Amino acid sequence: MDRSRRQIIKQGAGLALVASLPSAVTRALAQGGETLRIGALNPVTGAGSPYGGGMQKAIILAASEINALGGVGGRKIEIFAEDSETSPEAGVRAAKKLIEVNKVQALLGTWSSGVAAAVMPLTDAAGIVHSTNAGASNITSSKGLMFRYSGLSVRVGEALGRFAAKRGHTRLATMAFNNPSGREITGGAKAAWEKLGHQLVGEVIYEPNRPSYRSEVQKILAANPDAIVMGAYLPDFISILRETRQAGSNVKFYTPAWTVNQSLIDAVGPKATEGVYVHDYVAALDSAAFKSFVDRFRKATGIDATENYYACCAYDMMVVVGLAAEAAAGKGALQDSMRTVANPPGDVVYDFAQGQKLLKEGRKINYEGASGPIDFDQMGNVKPLFKLSEIKDGKVTMIGKVFEDY
Amino acid sequence: MNTWSFYANLALNGLVEGLLIGLAALALNLVFAVGRFPNAATGDFMTVGAYAGFGAHYLGGNIVVQSGAAMLAGAAVGLLSYFAVFRKLAGRPMVAALLASIGLGFVYRSVVSLFAGHDPRFFPMGTVSAINIGGVRIRDTDVWLAGIALLCMAVALAVLHLTPVGRQMRAVADNAVLAQASGIRSRRVMFALWAMAGMITGVAGLMLGIRTAVSPELGWGMLLPAFAAAVVGGVGSPAGAILGGVMLGIAQELSTPWLGFSYKIALSFVALAVMLLVRPQGLFGQKEAVR
Amino acid sequence: MLGYLVALLILGGIYALLTISLDLQYGHTGLVNFGLVGFFAVGAYGSALVALAGYPIAVGFAVGICSAALLALPIGGLALRLRDDYFAIVTLGFSEVVRLVIVNEEWLTKGGLGLPGVPRPFAQLGVGGAEAAYLALVVACNVIVVLVIRRVVGSPFGRLLQAIRDNETTVVSLGKSPPGAKVRALVIGAAIAGLAGALYAHYITFVVPDQFLPIVTFYVWMAMILGGVGRLSGSLAGAAVLVLLLEGTRFVRDLVPSVLAVEMASIRLILIGLLLIVFVIYRPYGVFGSPSRQ
Repeated sequence: MDRSRRQIIKQGAGLALVASLPSAVTRALAQGGETLRIGALNPVTGAGSPYGGGMQKAIILAASEINALGGVGGRKIEIFAEDSETSPEAGVRAAKKLIEVNKVQALLGTWSSGVAAAVMPLTDAAGIVHSTNAGASNITSSKGLMFRYSGLSVRVGEALGRFAAKRGHTRLATMAFNNPSGREITGGAKAAWEKLGHQLVGEVIYEPNRPSYRSEVQKILAANPDAIVMGAYLPDFISILRETRQAGSNVKFYTPAWTVNQSLIDAVGPKATEGVYVHDYVAALDSAAFKSFVDRFRKATGIDATENYYACCAYDMMVVVGLAAEAAAGKGALQDSMRTVANPPGDVVYDFAQGQKLLKEGRKINYEGASGPIDFDQMGNVKPLFKLSEIKDGKVTMIGKVFEDY
Repeated sequence: MNTWSFYANLALNGLVEGLLIGLAALALNLVFAVGRFPNAATGDFMTVGAYAGFGAHYLGGNIVVQSGAAMLAGAAVGLLSYFAVFRKLAGRPMVAALLASIGLGFVYRSVVSLFAGHDPRFFPMGTVSAINIGGVRIRDTDVWLAGIALLCMAVALAVLHLTPVGRQMRAVADNAVLAQASGIRSRRVMFALWAMAGMITGVAGLMLGIRTAVSPELGWGMLLPAFAAAVVGGVGSPAGAILGGVMLGIAQELSTPWLGFSYKIALSFVALAVMLLVRPQGLFGQKEAVR
Repeated sequence: MLGYLVALLILGGIYALLTISLDLQYGHTGLVNFGLVGFFAVGAYGSALVALAGYPIAVGFAVGICSAALLALPIGGLALRLRDDYFAIVTLGFSEVVRLVIVNEEWLTKGGLGLPGVPRPFAQLGVGGAEAAYLALVVACNVIVVLVIRRVVGSPFGRLLQAIRDNETTVVSLGKSPPGAKVRALVIGAAIAGLAGALYAHYITFVVPDQFLPIVTFYVWMAMILGGVGRLSGSLAGAAVLVLLLEGTRFVRDLVPSVLAVEMASIRLILIGLLLIVFVIYRPYGVFGSPSRQ
């Protein structure tokens, strides 16, 4: 309780600082000088609100750090921040404003698949880079302008299914929140499970915001699984985990990172969280970029980035665009330099300052970010490195297995 | 697999969920009968109560303190709504109050999110294994909830039948014009009504928040099931509201093997529509004009 | 800048159609329809599905409009038997059931994933031209609907609707048939809402169940009450105010940068709620409307 109280006070103080950042950044445009105009379109409200505020602040923080170094090739970055409201229509209106009124040169940080799908035609038509965290596999750009900084939901599910298999489970079931993210995760797990020659023993799809998931849990437990893969969010996972344990079952859960944090452990108690395995992104917790970002972000905003993976992605989105703009430097379009600065081969750099310095020396760089190695494939997706953690004695401990073969 | 204990558990789940809905329906019913309009802000009253209870928890209060805070907040919000808005709409068509209550719901919900943010808050409940009686599992929180629901129902019934102001409420519910003519001071009746309805919704919100999560959207999802329960049980009958909620909850959960987890929600809407067509006064309400 | 304004005008035109639809049902006939978004959704999905199956967009529009209108028939049946508040609750439930069906019948609607890539008309005109042409389409639809409604309202049928709204028992005693008239008003209103849905689907090019939540119905109620119940110009004005409200708060933030977007969303909803309350109490006929229609 003390910890969170401190957090809230710090958050309040930090908010004041970051609240002034947008105006500070927007007023940083040199009179008569050109700026690099970046649109931050994030789910500050709506279903994505646990992440959107942090994402937006991360983008703003990155921009202010870059501007403190003198900007990109002498140009300051100007951030135009809008709320997508996790709604396709609101997202379209905001994107229109960013593209048509603010004339942004890149759009960063869409999160919901619905918003990304509705906004993609707009960014494609405008020919600008669209960096997203949306997980649905049907989100693509016909012009190679999409860059996805987190794993496809399907890949997350496949990883969870394979983890469960590797750990020796034979009776796997899935429970999915009835939305694209949840369904694609469990769909991926099912596909991976079947590719290994097994069949699921049970599948349940549940509706959001129910007062109780007891019947859903009852159905899945009736199939007698030894492990359940979850495509869920934090509130429903808390409810389901609690119901399962109260029903007397010790079934193991394999669940994505955003469903597990201190709130979960506090809410259900450490005994109930035994046997919960968490899939997460590997570099996130190991890399120097991550640790440094977490510190700076906490100082600037009071927000704990270890609980908001998407904020780490958003930070990287801004840094990569900054580095790409530095590398492109009037020679070509932004999107053509994205892989140049983020993919191997090249000197590994962990922040913009390092990267800018090496670029000026004419070297090829490979940015490894706070959210992961950030290596884009042909489709614009990063190749995520996953790992498994286990909640033991109320603490999330890495088991340390890393799967690379996707 | 589908043994009797399977169905018994489903029924029990439905009972518990139904009690929660019934509590909200109880408050809705009271206002419907005495205030003569469906209060669409009921869900958002619940949200305010839940946050007040969470605030009490955050400051270290136990469940009794939390409930007290929730009831106080609910009553405050109910009274504020009456004095600031609904009183000004007396004598106007009922649609006006209904629409105003929609607007009020928006206001309460967003004021809460303005101060408390959008992130869901969780009550640390720990996890206790349930008592197992022949395959049927009962948890301690459920017993709590049942107790509170029955207590609220008993209090409401007691107020309505044993106190002077309660008798006046029933008179106003039966015939507002006559009640006015016979000298009943509507100001006092309305004060008691909104305080009581507010308290009940506040505590219902806290119960819901404890079982799930406290967020600005908490109560809105309860609104339609609560309406359905109020209508099925019968407008004007406190016992009817609780029973309506319980029946709908049980029917909803028992229907799961056939309707699935997604369509079972639709059951209460269908029940609502059917009840209005077939027996508009609900199961326990007085006959009154539905048309 | 122009592109942004065109987008707002298009969305405003779509909301205007929804407001006119609601105004016919409530303003002229007294039906308290809290399920408007259900007809909106059916129009959007109907048109999108047909167009994605390869049929011409015009066919899609027709299917969207007709599906919405057909769905109004059973609802109309309910309207006859229910008092205002019960009808309101039941229609609210109806729109939620529609959304539930859309989410769960995935073989048809792809459920929560939504339907991306809904074809846009006028693609051959290039980006700017297509937007302008779409605006022209939306304006044309509004003009046609306004003319149609004017005629309906001025006709004997229209006067019957108003008589029903004002005093139904008298109408019955005069031997007229309220039920048929009410159903017809509901069906016509639903058709207009379906048209709005089709226009919406082909503009955003992506339909997903989350776009059809009850809040949309209440946005339109607010627009109608603000603009003026029972008056066409009021519906248009109300829709304009709605879009201004939804978009305007964005620019308030530019003026007052210390206000965060999170707070802005809450403030916007507070404003909508307050406007609803204030207008219901003090100006129930809105800015343009009047209590008695001659």
